[in-house]
Amino acid sequence: MIECQVAVLENRHLGDGFFLLDVAAPEIVGETHPGQFVMLSTGPGYDPLLKRPFGILDAQGDTLSLLYEVVGRGTRQLSEVVPGRVLDLVGPLGNGFPELSDKRILMVAGGRGFAPLFLSARLMAQNNEVIFRYGARSQAQLKLADWLDEIGLQTVELFTEDGSVGQKGRVDDGLTDLIKKQSVEVTLSCGPDAMLKTLARLLSGVDGLHYGSFEALMGCGIGICHSCALAMKDGTYRKVCSDGPVFPLGAVAWPD
Amino acid sequence: MAGLEVDLGFIQLKNPVMTASGTFGYGEEFAPFMNLDDVGAIIMKGVYMTPRQGNPPPRIYETAAGLLNSIGLAGPGAEGLKPVLKRVAGLTSTPLVVNVCGRDDDEYFRVAEVFDDCPEVSFLELNISCPNVRNNGRCPAQDGDHTARLVSRICKGVKKGVMVKLSPNVADVAEIAYIAQESGASSISLVNTFLGMAVDLERRVPTFKNMVAGLSGPAIKPLALRLVWEVCRRVKIPVVGIGGIMSGKDVLEFIMVGASAIQTGTVNMVEPGASSRIVREIKEEMVHYGITSIQELKGSMTHE
Repeated sequence: MIECQVAVLENRHLGDGFFLLDVAAPEIVGETHPGQFVMLSTGPGYDPLLKRPFGILDAQGDTLSLLYEVVGRGTRQLSEVVPGRVLDLVGPLGNGFPELSDKRILMVAGGRGFAPLFLSARLMAQNNEVIFRYGARSQAQLKLADWLDEIGLQTVELFTEDGSVGQKGRVDDGLTDLIKKQSVEVTLSCGPDAMLKTLARLLSGVDGLHYGSFEALMGCGIGICHSCALAMKDGTYRKVCSDGPVFPLGAVAWPD
Repeated sequence: MAGLEVDLGFIQLKNPVMTASGTFGYGEEFAPFMNLDDVGAIIMKGVYMTPRQGNPPPRIYETAAGLLNSIGLAGPGAEGLKPVLKRVAGLTSTPLVVNVCGRDDDEYFRVAEVFDDCPEVSFLELNISCPNVRNNGRCPAQDGDHTARLVSRICKGVKKGVMVKLSPNVADVAEIAYIAQESGASSISLVNTFLGMAVDLERRVPTFKNMVAGLSGPAIKPLALRLVWEVCRRVKIPVVGIGGIMSGKDVLEFIMVGASAIQTGTVNMVEPGASSRIVREIKEEMVHYGITSIQELKGSMTHE
């Protein structure tokens, strides 16, 4: 966990507001665990003031790869950053997913939730069996799925709501049957809150360890500002940045 | 070698940079990013007697070069803070300061008593100005009588120095500062956040469940500087300037209008090594402007 300046190597539009950002960050790459994130400035100066949190898509050699979607002022500014520009980065942050070996793992990713699960899948596939489900809204997002073919996963299942690629439907379709049939012991998920909420409901009675990685509005990323509070079933708030971003799905209190 | 030392009367600091309550956690969170010995003092996140969960999300909203927050002073309570203080005192020789909060005067007093007896604590900051825990952003610092009553009770009851943190959300902050001084305050710190608001256009509701929230960050620096200047003209006790400080230059401005020291706030969240950088920049700026000591610089602004 350090603060450093990183040079942008590539900032490529994949389509539909999804961008792939590569930065040179050798100090971060070696320290990264699957499921961690970084806080990254989106440009020079103090407006926007805050860094933005991004899940780590990959970390190899000197290159840290991030996936982001343009959703507001900060990400829009970031989308205009050209290679060679320097950004401020704090990371790697958060606890990431638990270390696993010799497990049958089901990963469920939705939209930009692909990022932390791709790195997890690539590393965990070395000593686990990984089934990867990815649900996407657009062709651009599905381009990412091509990468999954190269990292030795047991099964990759793609879902689109219109059925244009992969199966027509949602990542949670037939999920519990799949878990039973494949003797899945661990599920790791990342995606929109609505997806995580559905998974939490579906998995509540299902044996095994079920973790979700959460997205939140973050100010600092290091546990100081308490802005990313997530309500838990025990009545407490936990900080998505420093207590998470990964939590057992069953521990989270979901709003109605 | 530039003279960075600051004498607040009740304490000497190695430099004028303190870290503002609520923006620097309990200090230890910043150890990976900077040397905690670099700063003049570390002010802990505000503490009540009992643990608090804080306000329901959303708790922050970014504004132009600023930040609205409605955190609601989440924290472990007085007993929970004690072991943290022991731990942090083991990490650094920098003076540690407890930011004392209360739902009512009795709670303020009990919290102050607990940490008055705590050897790890150098002095107390009395937070009578948090806008996020009472209805409509009201706080004791908005009422002269309440300020007098509360400050004198605390200052009579404790042995340690008491720095009283004031709200900018008043008609005449210098008057409140004067009242705090006459009630026994050792020092004044200001400003806490400016009351602000944001609206969720889609849902036609206030962004924050508390309606109002506190604005901080570089956007408020000119506002804070003006208020610090006014207070410095009115009181004799040391004044500690807070509000949007991002650089060594900003610090020199606050000192020049009369502040004895400053607190870094929101910048710590944006850039965890910022307070250390700012101390470094102060030294560089002092060389650049031919300033020999902070003491000499204090209140040296002249009017042409």
